[in-house]
Amino acid sequence: MRRIVAGEGGALAEMFDLHSPLVLGLLFRILGRRSEAEEILQEVFLQVWTQADRYEPERASPRGWILMLARSRALDRLRRRESTRRREEEVAGDAVRFGMVHPVGTERLEEMERRSRISSALGLLSPEQRHCIELAFFEGLTHTQIAERLQAPLGTVKSRILLGMNKLRQALSA
Amino acid sequence: MMPGPESHSPRFAELLPAYALGALDSAELRELEAHLETGCGDCRRQLDLLEGDLEELAASVPPLTPSPETRERVLGAAAAGTVVPFQQPIGPIRPIGLMRSSRWLALAATVLLVMAVWGVWRQARLAGEAEHLRADRDRLAQQVAALDRRLAQTQADNRRLASTLSLITAPGARAVQLAGLGPTPGAVGHTFVNPQARKAIFYAFDLPAPAAGKTYQLWWIAAGRPVSAGTFGVDEHGAARLEVDQVENADQIQAWAVTVEPAGGAPQPTLDAMVLKG
Repeated sequence: MRRIVAGEGGALAEMFDLHSPLVLGLLFRILGRRSEAEEILQEVFLQVWTQADRYEPERASPRGWILMLARSRALDRLRRRESTRRREEEVAGDAVRFGMVHPVGTERLEEMERRSRISSALGLLSPEQRHCIELAFFEGLTHTQIAERLQAPLGTVKSRILLGMNKLRQALSA
Repeated sequence: MMPGPESHSPRFAELLPAYALGALDSAELRELEAHLETGCGDCRRQLDLLEGDLEELAASVPPLTPSPETRERVLGAAAAGTVVPFQQPIGPIRPIGLMRSSRWLALAATVLLVMAVWGVWRQARLAGEAEHLRADRDRLAQQVAALDRRLAQTQADNRRLASTLSLITAPGARAVQLAGLGPTPGAVGHTFVNPQARKAIFYAFDLPAPAAGKTYQLWWIAAGRPVSAGTFGVDEHGAARLEVDQVENADQIQAWAVTVEPAGGAPQPTLDAMVLKG
């Protein structure tokens, strides 16, 4: 990140190659449209280029900082859309059409270990807790909006998010 | 005088997870932000941990390769961008006009004025430095907390990786590759067995999710008899990982297999529902 602040284009290229697949995966998960996800991906990395001096290493890893920039921009775009209803069939169609990255060899095992950790943690959540957390994280909905979407009491939604996040915290710190 | 940090209360601890997610509605958001502005260190540390968890949640999505055009556009735009210097040129300092009739008096007044301005400026500068030092101290405290968190996470990851590696690389450890069968020809599996530790670790890739009410079950076959190694499901990418303890007579294992069984597993494998074998 220091090299990016110093204006080294090569460092930006390295950062792009290292993190862009995950960032694009997140943008696509939030937006559900590949073209829009690629557009925001460009904006995110140009923001990294111009605002790398705002990165605070004590607060997050470079990956975490970039992912949160991406999430914030994608949620802004999502909120601007006239219709917030997601088109699930479009998501499924694009996933097949563009194909997922399949790392090979040891990279695949390492990724498997990393994914295993978060998958195990998510597996401890009830489907309702997980759904509420995903609605907040990937769709940017508040407690009230989630309660309206699910036709569930507000207190129930708050409780699901609190218990679910606490379970994640315990599992990821184990 | 600034108010001191409020004591950390269960009420704020309950709001923090939803705050990190961005799910608080306006009233609770204002309430918590007002508390955070008091500089509660407990809340700050808890928030850093929660944000670390959300990074993992964000990173749990399937990665996608960007198009080459996107990469070119990003790097091209970065290369073409011009850095606008922040500093503006400073114009020449205009001399203060002096009264012809009392040049020395005016000069003395000017010197006094300059000294007074310098005094005020110096005081402001010292106050600024003190503010910077306080900010540095707070930043360093946050850095230490974040490093502690990363260290704990890295140690947990290392323990897990070391356990896997020691199992795989121990003398006498064996690797068995399992190939997809029947309806899942593209699936693959890997089993690493450590006879000394009587442990095994199993990975599977590209397996479809089992049908409702069904589960995958891993078996080893020794002396012609199947022994259950446990049941497992797959994640959204069709991958699975299973650690197996108490692998008896590991030297005599002839084969490994995965079958589809009713939820909870079966005492004997259903041979025509075999999906992996090696």
